[in-house]
Amino acid sequence: MRKILLLELIFACCLIGMVNAQSTTRLVELCAESAGKDATYLKDFVVQLDAAGPDGKAPVAKYSMVLSKNNVYRFTICNADDSEGRAVLQLFDMNVMLGSTYNPSTGKEYKSFDFQCQKTGVYHIFISFIDGKKGTAVAILSYVKTL
Amino acid sequence: MKHHLLTGFVLLFFWGCGQKTQNLSNIVVPEDILNQGINEITDQAMQKIIDNIASPVEVAGLLKKTGVPFNRSLLAPTSYASAYNSAFQKAAALGIFGADLGYLNMYNKTGSVIENLSAIRDIAEDLKIGQFFDFPTLKRLASSRENLDSLMFISVHSYNQMDKYLRENQRGNLSALMIAGVWVEGLYLVTQVVKQYPDKQLIEKIGEQKIILDNLMIILKNYSNDPKFNEYISDIEKIYAEFRNVKIYFEIAEPEAVEKDGKLTIIQHETSIVKMPDETLKKITAVTEEIRNKLIKI
Repeated sequence: MRKILLLELIFACCLIGMVNAQSTTRLVELCAESAGKDATYLKDFVVQLDAAGPDGKAPVAKYSMVLSKNNVYRFTICNADDSEGRAVLQLFDMNVMLGSTYNPSTGKEYKSFDFQCQKTGVYHIFISFIDGKKGTAVAILSYVKTL
Repeated sequence: MKHHLLTGFVLLFFWGCGQKTQNLSNIVVPEDILNQGINEITDQAMQKIIDNIASPVEVAGLLKKTGVPFNRSLLAPTSYASAYNSAFQKAAALGIFGADLGYLNMYNKTGSVIENLSAIRDIAEDLKIGQFFDFPTLKRLASSRENLDSLMFISVHSYNQMDKYLRENQRGNLSALMIAGVWVEGLYLVTQVVKQYPDKQLIEKIGEQKIILDNLMIILKNYSNDPKFNEYISDIEKIYAEFRNVKIYFEIAEPEAVEKDGKLTIIQHETSIVKMPDETLKKITAVTEEIRNKLIKI
């Protein structure tokens, strides 16, 4: 009996894992599509973050990538349907923030922004959730055109 | 250096000249992010490696934008694919064929894509990552010549999935070979095209690879204990050596945010300027051709 229960538990865990993988894959597809007809998908970043801890520090997912001069890139952020928090994507060159999908002073959120790159190099994107809520989101890096 | 970085992470960003402005002065970069270096990469850290080091889409996009016609003779022969017998050769070839796939897709050469896709499928299956390569769907999309966006998306996404799986399953060495394969083939394509069409933007693209090569070498050197890898690193170092006369200068300027019709665009005004003597370009072209041909040889 215990063996059956254990097998059922393993099966349920596998099933949940598969469903989760499928739903994030679907979210990547939808998000890439929502980037627009003029954008060609390059990379996706699937982010699942916990809520901020007792210290109030919101978890941040960080990625590094090479961007090339004279290219226009589009950064798109999409929240999972069941995500508690709304994701924010910030683009950095070293320690200088170049752009963000969220302006905290106005509270305005952007689904995406384009970046006209004029310097080939390593850039960083940080993804977090507003007010340190927990959440799931997908960010898409797309190539729009060469200037 | 660390101290310098620590003191510099409170951001004040001036959004000038745009139709609307944003004030993002209260965004703080976490310390641990600023302090993370890329100079030491452990096998575990391959999971968090720099993305987009070599992008077939961008290389092909640049070639297409400059108006250079498609040249089939530049592609790596897919007939060799079945003869590659080591995981090393297969992973490197996967990168090379991936770069060629981007070139074919960008020029809408869907008829020729099938051969390339078949070679990629065979190699991916040999490396036990075939589950990420949706060959039937790709073949259908390529054959129908419809929905090229989907063809491009699934191609690139499949590669990303394979790369991710390798990194997450202690096979980062194969991921590194794939990345290097894409990079070598991309450089080969651009240098060969420049021989016939010495376009300024293409030449600059070649020179900029000095920046990318620094990062690629860090990844490859992570596996220098493997003799086969060591030989490969020596080959890539030959290319690296030819880049020593490439000088890259930076002009510092503030970025600009422009919002129009609800769409936000960030315009970078800081720029990089590449200076490369003609002789250096010739040497880079020659050594890249040599290394790339060695890589695809059976």
